[in-house]
Amino acid sequence: MAYLAPAEFVTKMVDAGESKLLMSTRDTLIRSYMAGAILALAAAFAVTVTVNTGNPLVGALLFPVGFCLLYLLGFDLLTGVFTLAPLAVLDKRPGATWAGVLRNWGLVFCGNFAGALTVAVFMAVIFTSGFTEAPNAIGQKIGHIGEGRTVGYAAHGAGGMLTLFIRAVMCNWMVSTGVVAAMMSTSVSGKVIAMWMPILVFFYMGFEHSIVNMYLFPSGLMLGGNFTFMDYMVWNEIPTVVGNLVGGLTFVGATLYSTHYKTAPKRAY
Amino acid sequence: MTATLRIRLGQHSDAGRKPVNQDFHGATVPREPLLGTKGIAIALADGISSSAVSQVASAAAVRGFLDDYYCTSEAWPVKRAAQRVLDATNAWLHAQTMHSDARFDKDRGYVCTFSALVFKGREAHLLHVGDARVFRLHPQALEQLSDDHRVRVSAHESYLGRALGAGPTLEIDYRCWPTEVGETYLLATDGVHGHLDAAAVHAALAAHPDDLDAAAAALVARALARGSDDNLTVQIARVDALPAADAAPLHTQREGLALPPPLQARMDFEGYTIVRELQASARSHIHLAVDRASGQQVALKTPSVDLSGDPAYLDRFLLEEWVARRIDSPHVLKPCASDRPRQHLCVAMEYVDGQTLSQWMTDHPAPDLEAVRSIVEQVAQGLQAFHRKDMLHQDLRPENIMIDRTGTVKIIDFGAVHVAGLAEGTRDARPDALLGSLQYTAPEYFTGAGGTPQSDLFSLAVIAFQMLTGQLPYGLQVTRVRGPGDLHQLHCASVLAVRPQLPPWIDAVLRKALHPQPAKRHQVLSEFMHDLRAPSAEYLRARRPPLLERSPVQFWRASALLLALAVVVLLGLRATGH
Repeated sequence: MAYLAPAEFVTKMVDAGESKLLMSTRDTLIRSYMAGAILALAAAFAVTVTVNTGNPLVGALLFPVGFCLLYLLGFDLLTGVFTLAPLAVLDKRPGATWAGVLRNWGLVFCGNFAGALTVAVFMAVIFTSGFTEAPNAIGQKIGHIGEGRTVGYAAHGAGGMLTLFIRAVMCNWMVSTGVVAAMMSTSVSGKVIAMWMPILVFFYMGFEHSIVNMYLFPSGLMLGGNFTFMDYMVWNEIPTVVGNLVGGLTFVGATLYSTHYKTAPKRAY
Repeated sequence: MTATLRIRLGQHSDAGRKPVNQDFHGATVPREPLLGTKGIAIALADGISSSAVSQVASAAAVRGFLDDYYCTSEAWPVKRAAQRVLDATNAWLHAQTMHSDARFDKDRGYVCTFSALVFKGREAHLLHVGDARVFRLHPQALEQLSDDHRVRVSAHESYLGRALGAGPTLEIDYRCWPTEVGETYLLATDGVHGHLDAAAVHAALAAHPDDLDAAAAALVARALARGSDDNLTVQIARVDALPAADAAPLHTQREGLALPPPLQARMDFEGYTIVRELQASARSHIHLAVDRASGQQVALKTPSVDLSGDPAYLDRFLLEEWVARRIDSPHVLKPCASDRPRQHLCVAMEYVDGQTLSQWMTDHPAPDLEAVRSIVEQVAQGLQAFHRKDMLHQDLRPENIMIDRTGTVKIIDFGAVHVAGLAEGTRDARPDALLGSLQYTAPEYFTGAGGTPQSDLFSLAVIAFQMLTGQLPYGLQVTRVRGPGDLHQLHCASVLAVRPQLPPWIDAVLRKALHPQPAKRHQVLSEFMHDLRAPSAEYLRARRPPLLERSPVQFWRASALLLALAVVVLLGLRATGH
């Protein structure tokens, strides 16, 4: 049987969240760096596919390869730890504290950002032949993605900020569903199928993913996008991180925990 | 089909030019499961020629060893099991000597040499005392693996330095090494080994390649022809097959057992009626069930779906019942095995009507010292039952400790137990896998040094600390240890910081049990238990530590506040023109 009953995979979720808090700084940084880098590469790949085929659906269909890869390799994304790490504290696991959760989030954010930035620089080199010429078609596309999703939101003021926030919430609802769905299956093929569906949804719908944006926007700045670093931070990254946090925690972590875990009979022989 | 251990044996003994054969030899090749847990034993004893009764001694030594070795606990490693048996034999022989006329002249007593080889798993174990010899055959030479315990007084005169039955206590040599398929070992008494060389052995083996008994007889005949005037005995052992490096001894038992279906209340399963689910986690499911034959309530444990594809997990799952059957302690959960043939993987254990220690801690946030001590002592007694069998629990945590309605504390989960006797001769002989709950695991598992009984003590001390304070002594620092260097940076919190009214010595006792270096902890659990009741002088000298040690943050905050006040006062003085 390759499908786990919810009660079993929810304890697995809490165990996974606990293990994030117990991880050494070194491991946390390495795993989050690699996760950021792989996801960024997948984003570059998806944009390339979209530009070359002219059809965004094809890019979205193929984007989940990156997510599946990094999950199977055991790397951590900020969006995933937003959902999992607090469960250990909610479940009162020994030694689990909010300070530990914040430490984990901080480290994973730094690792993801460094990883995504590395790929952004690498891809910028490729798109511009080592900064010797103007970016090619894909480079230009990436360069201008950032504009609509920073100054574009800013143009709508509070309404823009709300849109951005909701898109970020929806994003991590989908992405964390992918993380959790992968735990439902015990086989690699089952895990990949379970992750593919929600990731495809989020990418095609253009939801705001904090780590994908860690690649797209610094790339945009390097490839001639018409927005500033502060635009990126204030009108995208920071609200996206908060929205991802809220989305993962409320729609996935807290709901599954309260309905499947808390109703189970407590440990007693 | 995995290969099992196969040894081809050849033996021959002859009185030679003497009237009585005082040598004695024997070998036991048991069936499974003993073949896996105890191995194949070959033993050889040579009675001293000055004694008229030493043939009794050599027969008793070999027979006693071959019988009793297989009766020792399977949990014991070869060294411990064999030494226990030989200690008993030695004591018996020595007592026989002391009860006979030979007590006035030890050379006429019940004394013999003793050499044994035990093949278990992929390893060979040598136990040796006296001047018989154990050799490994090489193309050009015989490698002597045993030392001669013979004291030379002059060029012509020497006497046996150590032997079985010679004294009240026995000092026996022990060696262990990995074997290879095709290796040949020889055991020979001094009547033969003086006339033996590699060429002769190769010639005898070449003449009788499939009949090692005949080869042994040929070697004896050759030694006799060369003028040996003693009893002659040779044993030949050739390693024909070894078990696979990763074969677990329990592996064979799992075959034919199906994975259980999802259990529901009121369902009939393996002769039990399921009553209700007690716990379901990603590691295992536990149901309360009633044995229909006996009406007994049992806790029925089944593997989780998540891990049902992991053979190592399933092996450990079966090991749990194996361990429980071999430990008899009021503080360790009992198995309730039935005689019915089983179709599914499941373990029935005693049902404990009570609460887990973690629930107890929630109910008693600030327990008094006596309550904590009583629980810790009972857990320690349970652990002692494990340690006496050379087992390590390795996963001690509050969820694995139950307190029943009478207040009796029981250790309930054996899924991570390391059994020295089973691990021996396999690839993972060292207890170094991180199987337990990380918060309670001793730092030596994280550095890769592997577990010892002191590691279980560490876990118990963490639990004691948590019961008293509600916190972990090192927080999560231990779980982030990556190498021995990190051990120096571990900072153990003080019990007194949370519960200042507790006696200061309790903090010192816990600190010792929680030391990052296993060698600096209490050496045995009984020492820890004794210290908790009757602290020695070194702990009584422990005073309440100064504020700087108890709570550095509070200290520096207070200093900063004082400095800030001083600054304000000085500024005020300056402003007012003083």
